[in-house]
Parts: sequence; C-alpha cells; structure tokens
Amino acid sequence: MPCFFLHIDDGTQRIEDEEGSELRDLAAAREEALGAARQLWAAAMLTGRDIGLHAFLIANEKDEVIASVKMDDALPEALVRRLKGL
Amino acid sequence: MGFNNRLLRALSTADQDVLRAHLRWSELERGTVLVSPDEPISHVWFPESGLSSIIAMSGSDQGIEVGLAGRDGLVGMPLVLDADRTPHRIFMQIGGAGYSIDADNFRQVLDDHASIRKMLLRYVQAYSTQATYTALSNAIHTVEERLARWLLMSHDRQDDDEISLTHDFLALMLGVRRPSVTIALHSLEGLGFIKATRGLIIVRKRNELEEFAGAGYGVPEAEYERLIGQLR
Repeated sequence: MPCFFLHIDDGTQRIEDEEGSELRDLAAAREEALGAARQLWAAAMLTGRDIGLHAFLIANEKDEVIASVKMDDALPEALVRRLKGL
Repeated sequence: MGFNNRLLRALSTADQDVLRAHLRWSELERGTVLVSPDEPISHVWFPESGLSSIIAMSGSDQGIEVGLAGRDGLVGMPLVLDADRTPHRIFMQIGGAGYSIDADNFRQVLDDHASIRKMLLRYVQAYSTQATYTALSNAIHTVEERLARWLLMSHDRQDDDEISLTHDFLALMLGVRRPSVTIALHSLEGLGFIKATRGLIIVRKRNELEEFAGAGYGVPEAEYERLIGQLR
C-alpha cells in the first residue's frame, strides 16, 4: 500500500506528520483526514475549546502535497447552511 | 534467577519455584500475536519486558485497545478464570521477552496451588480496574489526556524514558484517526512533557504528565500496588 503523510496546517505553522501511514489510495487518505476533522470538531464542541486548525495537507511518498482537506469540509451540510443563515 | 515480572516477583519463593519448573523463555517481537479471537489459548505469558495490548475487535480488522499488560502481569487471563478463549486479540505492541507456560500445565498449577491462584486472581482484579478506568477515560477525557494516561501506563512498565511506538499504533490504542495522534503529541510536546520523534516518544516531565492525565491515571495503579505490590 502507498504511504501518505497527513500534515496539519494550523493557520500559522505546519504540524508535521513525520511517520506517514500506509493507506489504500488518495480517497482513503482523504477519508482519514475527514474522520480526524470530525473527531476534532466533536472534541471542540464537547470541551468548548476553539480549534486553531485550518486544513490537512495530504502528501505522497516523496512528501509532495497532492491534496488538502479543510476542517470546514467535515461539517455537516445542515450546520453550514444554518451558519450561513440559509 | 530473579524475575523482572512484578506478578512473579510478588509470589513466594516456593511458588516461584513451582512455576519456574514449567516456564520457557520466549522472545516476544513487536507484532507477535499471543491470543487470537475465539481460538483456544495455548499459553500464558509473563512478560519480562515489552508491552502487550488487549484489543476489543470491531469486525475483522478494526478494534480499540481495552487493556495493556507488560511486566506488571500476564497474558492469557481467561485461563485464570477457567475460560479457554476470548473474543479479544492480544499482541505485542512493544517488543520484549518473557516466560511462557503451556495452558494445560498452567491449569494444573492453579488446581494444585491455591496461593498462586489467589495472587493471579488479585491481578485479574487489578487489571479489571485498569479496564474500567480506560472506559472512564474514553468517555470523558480528551485525546490529549488519554494519550498522557497511555504514555504513563507504558512508562510504568519499562525502565527507561523512551517509548518506542509508531503513531499508527497509538491511533489504535486511543481509537482515533492518525492526525488526531499527531495533534495530541504536538500539544503534549508544546507543554514540554514529552519529546516526540519518528517512532519514539521520550517522557521528559513525568509528574506534570500525571497531573495533566487527571482522574484517568492513578487509581488503577494504586489498586495494583494494594493488591500485588510495587508496579514501577
């Protein structure tokens, strides 16, 4: 299986994923990032803490960023609509 | 021959000799599966070093750690409780070595030696307490707090400050996605409690880590020491 690095962009700096993970393909890497974003939102809701995170940067085996997943991508659509006042 | 395994150490010399006659030295490499779900347990292991992880399975390839055992205890607990198998999977998450005893011999020793059986039952009670606090921690603590707890429990079961573990394993231990581990390690590192490098976590400020872990850490450890003896 290919190795993907899931770095984290917290708005000011990059938190490095030094080890990488073996994941089936890019779709699986995206799903991993989305799952993490959901967990982080859930924790933020429960603790009332702000999330200082912006996005996940998905890098390939050569550590070249090939995709990104925004924290906001993990929010339920109904919540996004409500926040936008739609 | 002295034992490093705290549970074996807690036995009387006479009881240690009874067991010693059946024990065989085994290298326990990282990833070694000691117990497979729903299959008869062939041996009981008393780790001298390394760490085993007890995993509750969700489907065939997913699961979450529900307990850990290293030099504090034994692997193959169902045999102490007159059960021959478990739905759990148990494997070495940190490589080490230890002693094993064949399941039939183990049963015979328990039948013949009440003092050994009682000590091992006390370990089962201590382990159960650990598992209940894992449940507590999973329900009410943040990933950072749970990671702190896990690192302390791992640190308790080894001599040095370097914990050799990949983020993939930590994600399994904590039941979270990989990036959540990266972030939690980054937070604890930012507080100066640990230093995390590739495949290695170094415990720098143990007391602060204990304070940070809160209610998840301490009670099971005190219970172990009350029931059996020195843990660290």
